[in-house]
Formats: sequence, C-alpha cells, structure tokens
Amino acid sequence: MLEVRKLSAGYGNDIVLRDVDLTVAPGEIVALIGANGAGKSTLVKCLSGLLPPRGGTITLDGERIDGLSARACVLRGVCLVPEGRQTFGGLTIDANLRLGAYVHSQLDEASVQNLIDESCRPFPALLPRRDEPCANLSGGQQQMLAVARGLMSKPKALMLDEPSLGLAPALVSEIFRLIADLRGRGLAILLSEQNARQSLAISDRAYVIENGRIVACGTSKDILASSDVAEKYLGVGHKIGDPKSAKQTIMTARLRKIMGVP
Amino acid sequence: MSSFIQILIGGLLQGGVFAAVALGFSLVYRVTGVINLSQGAFCVLGAMAMYYFEVAFHWPTALAAVLSVLSVAAFGVAVGAATFVPAVARLPVSSTLVLTAGLLTFFEGVALIVWGNQPYALPPFSGQAPVAVGPLRIPTQGLWLAGGIAAMIAALWLLVNRTALGRALQACADNAMAARLMGIDTRRMMLLSFTLAAAIGATSGLLVAPITSLQFDSGGFFTTSGFIAVAIGGMGSFAGSIVGGLVLGIAEQFAAYYVSSLFANTLALLLLMFMLLWRPQGLFASGPVRRLDVRADSLVHRALVRLSGRRALAVGVTLLIVLVAIPQLPLPNDVLSSLTISLILFIAVLGLDVLMGWTGQVSLGQAGFMAVGGYAAAILSTTYEWPPLAGVLAAMAISVVCALALSMVTGRLRGHYLALATLTFGLLIDSLTVGLVDLTGGPSGLVGIPSFAVGAFEFDTTERMFYLALGLSAVLVLLLEGGMRSQFGRALQAVRSDQLAAAALGVNVGWIKVSALCISAALASLAGSLYAFNFHFLSPEMVATPRSFEMIAMLVLGGEGTLLGGLFGALVLTLLPTLVQSLALYKTATTGALLVATFLFMPEGLFGRFAIWLSRLGGAGRTRSSGAAIETTAQ
Ligand SMILES: Nc1ncnc2c1ncn2[C@@H]1O[C@H](COP(=O)(O)OP(=O)(O)OP(=O)(O)O)[C@@H](O)[C@H]1O
Ligand SMILES: [Mg+2]
Repeated sequence: MLEVRKLSAGYGNDIVLRDVDLTVAPGEIVALIGANGAGKSTLVKCLSGLLPPRGGTITLDGERIDGLSARACVLRGVCLVPEGRQTFGGLTIDANLRLGAYVHSQLDEASVQNLIDESCRPFPALLPRRDEPCANLSGGQQQMLAVARGLMSKPKALMLDEPSLGLAPALVSEIFRLIADLRGRGLAILLSEQNARQSLAISDRAYVIENGRIVACGTSKDILASSDVAEKYLGVGHKIGDPKSAKQTIMTARLRKIMGVP
Repeated sequence: MSSFIQILIGGLLQGGVFAAVALGFSLVYRVTGVINLSQGAFCVLGAMAMYYFEVAFHWPTALAAVLSVLSVAAFGVAVGAATFVPAVARLPVSSTLVLTAGLLTFFEGVALIVWGNQPYALPPFSGQAPVAVGPLRIPTQGLWLAGGIAAMIAALWLLVNRTALGRALQACADNAMAARLMGIDTRRMMLLSFTLAAAIGATSGLLVAPITSLQFDSGGFFTTSGFIAVAIGGMGSFAGSIVGGLVLGIAEQFAAYYVSSLFANTLALLLLMFMLLWRPQGLFASGPVRRLDVRADSLVHRALVRLSGRRALAVGVTLLIVLVAIPQLPLPNDVLSSLTISLILFIAVLGLDVLMGWTGQVSLGQAGFMAVGGYAAAILSTTYEWPPLAGVLAAMAISVVCALALSMVTGRLRGHYLALATLTFGLLIDSLTVGLVDLTGGPSGLVGIPSFAVGAFEFDTTERMFYLALGLSAVLVLLLEGGMRSQFGRALQAVRSDQLAAAALGVNVGWIKVSALCISAALASLAGSLYAFNFHFLSPEMVATPRSFEMIAMLVLGGEGTLLGGLFGALVLTLLPTLVQSLALYKTATTGALLVATFLFMPEGLFGRFAIWLSRLGGAGRTRSSGAAIETTAQ
C-alpha cells in the first residue's frame, strides 16, 4: 500500500505541489490525471526519490520513504517508469533490462534470466532482439522496454509517467491494454496521464490534479461521469483549462505566503 | 631499416603512454560527459609518489609502485569528491571543462611546490641493460611499460563490458536521470570514473618516468598529447583512444627523427586540426550521442551579475581616478610594473570576456593570439625595423586573419569541440613559437625588442607604459560598454543564452560568433604586442597555453560578462605574488585553486560579489535585481 499524506514539493522558490493526499493499494490501478504543468510528474518524482518533498509523508506498507534517495526507494520497491521513456539508447536491450535489476546485485545469473523472462512476458517482441542496441527500437517498443525495465526491479508499487506520450493512436491503445494486463501481478500501479479517457477506462480509481492540488478523486466510473472532468479533460464542451486562473492561484498563494496568511 | 624499426618501437612506447592518458579521458567522458583536462597531471603525481617511495625512502619497487598508485587514487577520490563531482552536478559542461583546466594548473602548482622545477628521472625497474632482439635493442623498461599498459587496457575493458558495475558506469553516461531511477548512485559512479582515471594516469606515469624524465609541468604535455589522441580516435571510444594514442606516438617519433624534434608537436596538432575539420567525432565515433551545444544544457548558465548603468559609471570613474593617481604614490617600482602587467593582461582578458562572458563561447586558446600579436609586432619592429605602432596594428590584422582561419574550423563545431579546437590552436601556436627558431628565436626567446613608441614619443619608462596600458584599457572598456548596449551586443547575448532561439529570431549566429572571436583575437594580440614591448623580450612560455588558463582564471575570478571584472582578477593574480614574494612559488597552485573555488563557491566572481554587495548597500528599499542584473537560468 502506497500512501501519500499532505505532501508538498517544489523547485527553488516555487511550490508546485500542495497538501496532496493519495493512496494506491496492491492490485489496483490508480489514474492520476491533469493538464500540462499540473504537477503529475513532480508528484511521481517525489514518490521515486528524485525530488525531496518539502512536507508531508510518503509511506510504503507503513514504512516512511519520503526523503530517501532514489536508490533506497527502488530497494524498498517503489519504481518509476519516467516520462519520455528514458531508456539507455547506447546500450543493448539486454543491458537495459539488467540495469533494471541493478539494486538486486545478489541475484545469480539464473534468477536474472528468470526475472527477464518474467518481466518481458507482456512484451514478447523484446526478447528476440535482446542483443540489439536499444536505440533501434521504435517509440512504442522503447516504452514497453521502459516498463519491462521497471518490472525488473521487482517493485511493489510501479508508477508510470505518461506512457502514451508521443505514440501513435493505435500504439496508445496497445500500451494501455498491456498496462491493464499488469493488474494481475498484485502491484500497486499509479498511472499519471494526460490521456484521461483511456486511463480512466483501464483504472479502478482516479485522482484529478490541478495546479498542484488534488481537486477530485473517486472511482474511475464516477470521475468519468462527472461533468466537470468531462468538460476539462475529455474534450466535451469548449473550456480546456484556464491558464489565467492557474497563474492567479499561484500568485494568490505567493501573496498569502508573504502576508503570512495560511 | 633497423633504425626505422627502432623509431617505430620508440613511437609505440610513447604512444602507449598517450593511449593510457586518452583512456582516462574516455572513461571520465563516458561517465560524466566532461573532458577532464587534469588527466595528464596524474601521470606526474604518480611518478612523484614513486620517486619518494622508491628513491627517497628506498622501498622495494613493487611495493613503491602499488603504494604510489593507491596514494594517487586516494588523492583523486578527495579532489574528485570535493571539486569535480559537485561541478558536474551543478555547473554547465563549459564551466566544468574550464574547472578541470584549473585543476590541471593546481596539480602542476602542487608538483612545483613539492618537486621544484628541475626534471626527475626514476631508475628503471629491472636495470639499465636493454634486451637484444636480433639487431634491435629494447630497453627493459619499455617492456614493463608495454605490458603494464596492455594489462590496464584489458582490465578496463573487462570492467566496463563484462561487469554490472561497468554497465552502471555506462548507464550514467547514457542517461543520468534514468540511471538514478535504476538505483545507481550516479555521483559515486562519477567519482569512481575520476578515481580510476587517476589510477590509470599514475600507473602510466610511474611506468614511463624511467624512460622520459618528468618535471612539474609535464602534466600539461600529457594532457595535450592524450587529448590529441582521444580527439583523433574519437571521444569516449576505448578502441579509438588506443589507436589514437599509438598513431600519435609513432607520428611524433618519426617527425622528430626525420623533420625536427621541435616540430614533432606541430605536425600532430596539424593532424588534429585536419581531423576536426574532416571528422570531428574522431575515427571511432562511439558512446552515447550527446548534445554538443554547451548552451543547451538543462543546467544553469555560468552565473552572471552585472552592475546597472549609473552605478557602473560611478565605479568605473572611481577606479580610473585611483589608478591614475597610483604612479604618484611612493610605491616600489616592481609594484608599478606588476600593475602595468595586470593592465596589459586585462586587455586580453577583456577580449576573452567578449567571447566567453558575453557570447558564451569558451576559448582555451587566448594566449595563442597573444603570441601571434607579441611575436608579429616584435619581429616587425626588430628584424624589419617597422615603427612599433605599425607593428602593433599589423599584428592585430594578422591575428584577425588567424581568427578567421580558426573559425573556418570551428564554424561547424559547437560546445566541447569548439573549446577543444581553440585549445588546439593555442597549442599549435605554442609549438610554432618554439619550432620556428629562425623567426622567433625558438625556446630561448626573442631579445632586443625596442620600447613602444608613437612617432618620436617613446614609452620607455614603467610609468609611461603604465599610463599607456591604463589609457588603452579605459578606452576599450568604454567602447565595449557602448558596444554591448547596441544591437550587436544584444545579439552576442542572445547567442549566449540560446543559439537556436537566437537563430530563430533572425540573428546570424555564425557571423556573430566569428565577430566575437575576431574582437577577442584583436584584443589579445594588442595585449601580446604591449607585453613584448614592455619586457623588451618575448619567449614562448610567456604566451603559452598555461597563460590561456591563467587568463580564464582571471576572468572567472573577476566575474564573467562584466567587462571590468577581469581587471580585478588580473590584479589579484598578478599583484599578490609581487607583493608577497614568498608566494611566488605558490602562484601556480593558487591560480588553479582560485579558479576551481570560484566556479564552485562564487560563480558570479569578485566583481559580481561586489555588485551584489553594492546594490544591497545602496538600495535599502529596492530589490536586489534592480541594482544588479542577475542571470542564472538557462530556460
Ligand atoms: N525542474 C524544474 N524546475 C523548475 N520548475 C519545474 C521543474 N519541473 C517542473 N517544473 C514546474 O512544475 C510545474 C509542474 O510540472 P510537472 O512536470 O510536474 O507537470 P506535469 O503535470 O507532469 O505536466 P506535463 O503533462 O506537461 O508533463 C510546472 O509549472 C513546471 O513549470
Ligand atoms: Mg509530466
């Protein structure tokens, strides 16, 4: 169980996330949807130890993991498949996969082979090309490799940041189908996405994030049905976010801070 | 025939050392994306440690060798953890590159303090008697060297290609953020690569020391040779490093034998220039494809703090009044002559500021233009008896022509390769000033240079030279200050911020870069000429590549992009050793240490600090940015 309580985080002087509460239970897929710059990536960066949070707590199965290094997070079983794939282009697919299990250095060769087979089972296209440089793969295949590489670390909680980014529509559906198939593994999966329709379709529950705050949460069905979300994220109606109001929230927040008003 | 093979063997041995240095370069580059210019210094440190353990303490050779490598590696860990790794994490690549030049200077300075300036040779491991193979005689140390280097290459190859640790090292180079997500401690990996490279350097240093004697500044030689090797072979490629090193070693030995030992380096550098033109990625392009634009880093820019208009004027005028009054004070003569030298160097640093501070192009070859200016003016006014002023102007024209020729090479290059091409240019000029004995007087220098004169008025006293340098720098600062406010100045700064965006806005980036290089070359040339007239003497090491590094240190210490800042840097680095004579020995080490420390702890420089302090002082109600323009972020 991955639990986030009152989390806040930011870069330099800017606070990006405020009082975020979120839970992901084993075996469920939770969608995190929000527009560009809402703070989705910032949230998953905090969860994976890339960005130290400013306040609040993160626990995995009751154990605090906030403020730990990325390595410590991976060791405890929290793994992020980052935005934009970030595979090691100059290395072979095999090396990419093995690097996924880097923290499990005690594994012997046979267990590593088992782990590779296990992690690549959803993505059979990868195995025959194991010795090719990863840069030879297509965008969709690289995304699959990134997910498989994440699975290599034997995570309890897997976070996927925009897995559909930059993929052709047919591939997007394919990726979402593969992610839905991961549900059987008992992982807690957090899926951060701009593609609200498809991520709501495969997830059990969902959170909507706006300007660094959770503004709605509930079962994916309910969220899908809510008119507000439909208007903003599903392209129903015409209003697609309001950049002015986003700026205003930040500015009023800054003013409040300066004046010392909570 | 047998002499041919003898030379070939000599070349292979020398090339082996170059290959080892190149391997160190490649290893660090692969993991961190930075060329570590201090690499060559580890050879000297290794040999130095070996000298103490073996010769001074009389410990057994094997024990001494192991201890030397271990102690240099330990030193590498300390220095790497304190400077290099934080720099890679915090600073843009261009700053880190310059920081490693500072480390090189620092290491040379340390070796100078410990070793003094005489050359040292170690005894061969197994006696002087060479082994005879048929008609050939091979020194036994050569076998040790070849064997040792081959063993290191094999070990490194196994480590990188056959172990999980090696995979992690490669992952850091490929994508540092993703490597962190895999649980790889990227800082540890950077430190590991730096330390391994230090150990490789130390090992090759103590293996080669019995063959070639080393002295405190041999590190620069190893760095440049290793760098040429790695640039020929391909940055980051292990195979390329080895091939590049061997090719270079053999080429240099043959050139030394059949042409002249003074020119051995020149030919190698010409070979490199040709490579940069023809195939900048080297023979064996390899490793991850990196973005080569220094400016396009996700990291912050080199920090920049400037004074705003009125304050700048006030500071400038105060400074000028103080400087004008100085010769009237009862000061010892050597202080005044140091001030003169500072002002002359400041002119060259001004040029560097236009290029580096305002346009964002790192140049490691500024002293090369000083040399062109100094030698051209000196030769014209001595051998051809031109009036000095005409000599200075002609020299500036020659320097600008050189700058144009250089930009034909650099025009296609960006980032690292650009900085390295300027380094190559500087080294090429170094080797020419040494090699063209008939023209330049060779290593012993050019004597009998007259005083500078305009018409009948001779600048033949220190005081007159001081006022000349002061007047020229004041005029140049004013001109450049105006220039930087113009459309042209804004274009320079646009190129500094983002070349692509500048191009998209219609700025002719290529032309801007060429102009900045020409301005910088002309000013360096002017400084070089004045330098020669001031001393009535010019020798290659007065305007050699270490001088380029020193001027970068002056600029960075003073504050980039501030015009006046360079003066503070020049004053500190020139005056301090004069005022405190006992410091002279420590000057090299201090220069390097100051450069490194400034980058890490005070990136805005002395002048930037001063500007921030002044604006805090002046504007109680104002925000800090209204008094001093502070630019730090790239996006
Ligand atoms: N490295 C950084 N430094 C400073 N600010 C940042 C940084 N990364 C993100 N931000 C800011 O944090 C806010 C949230 O960014 P984040 O990347 O979390 O958004 P996101 O929801 O993932 O958006 P997208 O869908 O575009 O990926 C944005 O306003 C962004 O400008
Ligand atoms: Mg994002």
